[in-house]
Amino acid sequence: MDEQVSTNERLADTAAARPHASGRLADLTAVYGLAVVFVLVMVVFGILRPNSFFSTMNMNAVLVGQSVTAMLALAEMVPLATRQFDLSVGFHLGMAHVLMIGLQVQQNLSWPAAAAIVLAVALLVGALNGILITRFGIDSFIATMGLGTLLYGVSNWYSGGAQITGLNLPASFANLTEVIGYIPLPAVYVAIVAVILWVVTERLPVGRALYVIGASPRAAELLGIRTKLYIGGAFVTSGLLSGIAGIMLASILGTGTPSVGPEYLLPAFASTLLGATSIHPGRVNVIGTLLAVLILAFSFSGVQQLGAAFYVQYFFNGGILIVAVGLSVYAAARRRALAAAGAGKAGAAD
Amino acid sequence: MDLAVGPGEIHALVGENGAGKSTLIKILAGVHQADAGEVRLLGERVDPYGASLPLSFVHQDLGLVDELSVGENVALVAGFPRQAGLIDWPRVWARAREIYLAMAVAPPDPRLPVGALSAASKAVLGIVRALARQARVVVLDEPTAALPEPDAAHLFDVLRRLRASGCSVIYVSHRLGELFGLADRVTVLRDGRRVRAAAMAEITPQQLVEDMLGRSLELHHAAHPVENHARPLLAVAALENAQAGPVSFQIGAGEIVGLVGLRGAGHEAIGRMIFGALRPRGGEIRLDGTLLPAGEDVAARIARGVALLPGDRGRESALGGMSLIENLLPSAAIGGQRSWRPLLPARERRRAQAVLDRLDVRPRDPAALIDWLSGGNQQKVFVGRWLEAKARLYVMEEPTAGIDIGAKFAIHGLLADVARGGAGILVVSSDFEEVAALCDRALVIGRARITSELRGPGLTVDNLVAHASIGAGAEAGAGASGGG
Repeated sequence: MDEQVSTNERLADTAAARPHASGRLADLTAVYGLAVVFVLVMVVFGILRPNSFFSTMNMNAVLVGQSVTAMLALAEMVPLATRQFDLSVGFHLGMAHVLMIGLQVQQNLSWPAAAAIVLAVALLVGALNGILITRFGIDSFIATMGLGTLLYGVSNWYSGGAQITGLNLPASFANLTEVIGYIPLPAVYVAIVAVILWVVTERLPVGRALYVIGASPRAAELLGIRTKLYIGGAFVTSGLLSGIAGIMLASILGTGTPSVGPEYLLPAFASTLLGATSIHPGRVNVIGTLLAVLILAFSFSGVQQLGAAFYVQYFFNGGILIVAVGLSVYAAARRRALAAAGAGKAGAAD
Repeated sequence: MDLAVGPGEIHALVGENGAGKSTLIKILAGVHQADAGEVRLLGERVDPYGASLPLSFVHQDLGLVDELSVGENVALVAGFPRQAGLIDWPRVWARAREIYLAMAVAPPDPRLPVGALSAASKAVLGIVRALARQARVVVLDEPTAALPEPDAAHLFDVLRRLRASGCSVIYVSHRLGELFGLADRVTVLRDGRRVRAAAMAEITPQQLVEDMLGRSLELHHAAHPVENHARPLLAVAALENAQAGPVSFQIGAGEIVGLVGLRGAGHEAIGRMIFGALRPRGGEIRLDGTLLPAGEDVAARIARGVALLPGDRGRESALGGMSLIENLLPSAAIGGQRSWRPLLPARERRRAQAVLDRLDVRPRDPAALIDWLSGGNQQKVFVGRWLEAKARLYVMEEPTAGIDIGAKFAIHGLLADVARGGAGILVVSSDFEEVAALCDRALVIGRARITSELRGPGLTVDNLVAHASIGAGAEAGAGASGGG
């Protein structure tokens, strides 16, 4: 009797394991794909431009410059986990950095007071997005695009459309984003936020609830997950992180320019979506997002050092967005095909 | 198989699932080709597979576009009248009105969006639209499944007028009761053959059921009073919303109770109100003697120990693209966790593995994605998910729909174990065999109310079919033992 059961189980297990084994290689390349690409980028440009590419100056320039994009990409990631878009992050970043400079220059506030106001506004913006989407049922694409454009209006109204120059800003404010030794502080902020977000999304029931909502909002509701609360919370988080990114940008630039901001949306978006092709294929995740930001940043920096013109970055960002989404669609289709084969074989074993 | 429908008659076509009703209709519609035999229309021999007949079909899913107006929905089928190549809107509206008036039915405003119509008006529109193609015969497939009683009566009225205008109606239904007083003749199919063709006036509901089942039937008229448990686990009193009720019943600890009805009878709504997924309009729900506040949501009910396994596996249970671990422990409420307490991967994996082993899920790999599993194995995972919630009352909607026989028995065994452990189970189902096999007791729902209660030796498939089919009728008095 025992003998028979174990034989049956072995048969069933091998049958079920087959699709899994054939899928394992595909899985591995999917999981570590971005990491491999990252290493390739570093090696290729390191060989092509050995002196300049790995110079401390270049590394720091890329890390400082991209920390804002990285922070924004992390902000975008949270609502995207629930399959909701936040298109306001770019405009929000712009408004936050204009306010950050303007409140110090025009209202003579200290930078911590200005930062506190910017963060409070950031929470409010996130909450507004959340309310528009969960209470009024407006599609996130429309709601965040609308609110974002309003924010763009606010920063132009506040600044009168002109650049606010921060001539007498305190050194302590500029020092927020300085490079200490070999370590650029903005990268440290990104790292801290990334660690917190990683714990939340990978190790807390709260984060799992976000992904469950992304997988099926209806199922999530029937599992006792208060979807509106979570989606609202995701937008508040996204708003807060966009505000932090704005403070960093203000400290880096030292001026507030109302036209700055919108151009950050696409790279942040592209990085988050590209990140979703790896580590946890098919779902946005922290490590994938950071790897994607680094790949985009270093490959663009490398191409620039090879003598590419400034406009190449637009080809880069647009192209990557299409390629990233194309890849993830392809990967999803492949996994579905493997899954269908797997289910067929597992079914045959029943 | 023979079927003869006279002009200007409402002809009922009845039979159990798989008796051949759908096949017959599909042959008439020209979907399938007949292997042998002939179809005559007004005495002339026709081939439905080649030519299209002046027959119209109205399916349960009416295929109306809610966002478009009544006139546009008619025109989608009948064609848009044009003038100089452009749509002639005044004629679109006029035409919709004419078609209604031809049937002596008061037309709604043709500019009204279909979404604004009542369920009955939509069904009427479905029929009207079918007739827009100059049909002589209309085939209605379970048109009243989703209609509450007054709406069904309205629809019957329309059918009678249609008959008066000379059209013939082939009316397919599982609700035998409503055929009496509506249909003129009936054809009963069983195992692909006609076993009876008779005038409705010459037949009783019980004879119809016997013909459908192919065996004689002793109806157990369950006159049991509602059982009064000393301390019922669940006590529902006068619970109702727009789709169901008022109903009152009790479930004891360790009891498996079936809540059965034909599709659309309203039994799903009762389970969902108990789970907090639908808001009741009135009535009380008590769990272990405690009155549950009416406004409570699903999360609060789960916390109180109520669980619901949804019937729509793909849309309401599956978390596509997520692993079996995540599907088994999807939320803090189910895993017995706090929202901010870390999830330990090794512990979760062990826990998931234990469930997969216990429920014999293949493959037994907790990291596998739910999408890789067959339907039966997926369902085991979803049952396992709720077992992890350690609920006291389980509402199980169609727990084994669409899965193979092995998994079905396995899930039945699991549910029996859960009940032995002291939980109460409410099986919400239209699968009579399942209810007869699994439940201690069954409450039959017809037109939103409890029409009878079956238990013990009286709880058989035949009895369930009889009570659900006859008791569901609008005009039927026979077979029902009074509302709950």
